[in-house]
Amino acid sequence: MTTTTPIDQRNTWHLTFGGVLRSEWIKLRTLRSTVWCYAILVVLTIAIGVLVAVNANSLGHPTGEAARQYVVSLITVGVAFGQLVVAVLGTLVITGEYGTGMIRSTLAAVPKRTPALVAKVLVFGAVTFVISLVSMVLTALIVTPILSGAGIEFSLFDPRILVPILGGSGALALIGVMALAVGALIRNSAGGLAASLGLLLVVPIVLQLVYALTQAKWALNVAAVLPATAAGQMHAYVGSAVEPSQPGVLLLTPWQGGLVLFAWFAVFFVFAAVLLKRRDA
Amino acid sequence: MIEAVGLSKRYGDKLAVDDVTFQVRPGLVTGFLGPNGAGKSTTMRLIAGLDRPSAGSVTVNGKPYAEHKSPLREVGLLLDAKAVHTGRSARAHLLAIGATHGIGRERVEEVIGMVGLQSVARKRVGGFSLGMGQRLGIATALLGDPATVILDEPVNGLDPEGVIWVRNLVRHLASQGKTVFLSSHLMSEMAQTADHIIVLGRGRVIANASVHDILAQATGGSVRVRTPNASALRQLLELPDVAVTSTQDDLLQVTGIAAPRIGELAAARGIILHELTPVVSSLEDAYLELTQDDVEYRTSEGAES
Repeated sequence: MTTTTPIDQRNTWHLTFGGVLRSEWIKLRTLRSTVWCYAILVVLTIAIGVLVAVNANSLGHPTGEAARQYVVSLITVGVAFGQLVVAVLGTLVITGEYGTGMIRSTLAAVPKRTPALVAKVLVFGAVTFVISLVSMVLTALIVTPILSGAGIEFSLFDPRILVPILGGSGALALIGVMALAVGALIRNSAGGLAASLGLLLVVPIVLQLVYALTQAKWALNVAAVLPATAAGQMHAYVGSAVEPSQPGVLLLTPWQGGLVLFAWFAVFFVFAAVLLKRRDA
Repeated sequence: MIEAVGLSKRYGDKLAVDDVTFQVRPGLVTGFLGPNGAGKSTTMRLIAGLDRPSAGSVTVNGKPYAEHKSPLREVGLLLDAKAVHTGRSARAHLLAIGATHGIGRERVEEVIGMVGLQSVARKRVGGFSLGMGQRLGIATALLGDPATVILDEPVNGLDPEGVIWVRNLVRHLASQGKTVFLSSHLMSEMAQTADHIIVLGRGRVIANASVHDILAQATGGSVRVRTPNASALRQLLELPDVAVTSTQDDLLQVTGIAAPRIGELAAARGIILHELTPVVSSLEDAYLELTQDDVEYRTSEGAES
């Protein structure tokens, strides 16, 4: 029962933001749900890319601009599905703590609270970015010989290819941390998942319906700044001039997509941070 | 040292903690007693800054908990529910909590050893029994070697060996000069463990004294007398302030007069006594007496911890 850790060592124990980051990193990697979600993200991204690539022969040997556009869309096609995976994981990262009571241990160790939420966002965002990047780079490497057989050659380090890959990785990271912020607001797994997946999947469909029924252009313009659309634009190929689906309808560039998605995250995050400070845990 | 001044907490229209003022001093084990729903857990959450007081304030070692530079060095907290993610192993949980303060693997292994969880430290907490969960919670509370230890119902779910272990542990912590604040509704346990007791009922402090004083204040002890001549002794004891009850023909329960005096009176009249036993009122009796109103309240209003 006697403690053997020397006193002078114990006096080096202080709460630091670096420590909180390390704590969140340990938390993230020691849960099975994390491992599963990331594994699904990697496998999904590669599998969909390969599936598209094996049909490359039917394209009739595109070259130049057309080839690059095709390669970009093939490598980043998994982002649309990956969004759902990272939204689920991002939600669980925080609501899992509320569901199990872990949040009380977390907040007892970090009673100022905000650093714990910031650390969660930074660690989860960074890890999601890296894993997304790795999965898309792997996709690119795996499809290279397949596309080569279909007469399509590309370099991963061509900025016109690499930038959309980075954009897609950033999109997944931002969708993930947005879902985390929504989860922090709602504090319940089922509710958090419903809110985030509803925002990503259901709201765009509703706006499409509104447009189909009323021909109101505002519905398309609103749809253009939804998180899922903004995320999609972040990995769009920029080479040829991009045209909106209709004149007068908003179409974001990759950078604008990134800023719009960041704004979505920021709004939810600020509300979450304010309420985290105010509410009883 | 924990100091609460005028501390109140309102949830909706229910006043869970009502203008509570008390001190918990270092070097002692202070017991926190009260029926379910009395506000014990809420008070502990207020101390640790998990809930925000509706009024009043509470400080730990001179500052609100959240203002300490190294909170885990100040307060170790065990709340009654498991505050652990069920999907994580016990070791990973302790490493994650410790990491915030730069507490490394060496100390984590040390506290795992202290609570005897070595064999299951790799296992996920979801599969833990209540007793194992309590041990992990205590390990978490001890992680930062805190100056103040707050344990909410620590013996809940522990086997008898575990109960003795907790008793020895908190005595040991107090002997090191730490502040130990321990809630329970098991009076018998408190009588053996605590030096000082704060009794909470319906959100208010209804007693705050040493165990010794609480026992002394409780309605005085009674004396059990067994005699073949009960009716004669009964007549003899018809004195002011003396009450006699009887459940068997030859057995009397006497209050208001000391055992030696009963013996003397009986001897003077030649009444044979087969038994003369002073019955010390237990802390349990004292507690039940103190919280009588609140128990009635609980049955009509429902319990909430």
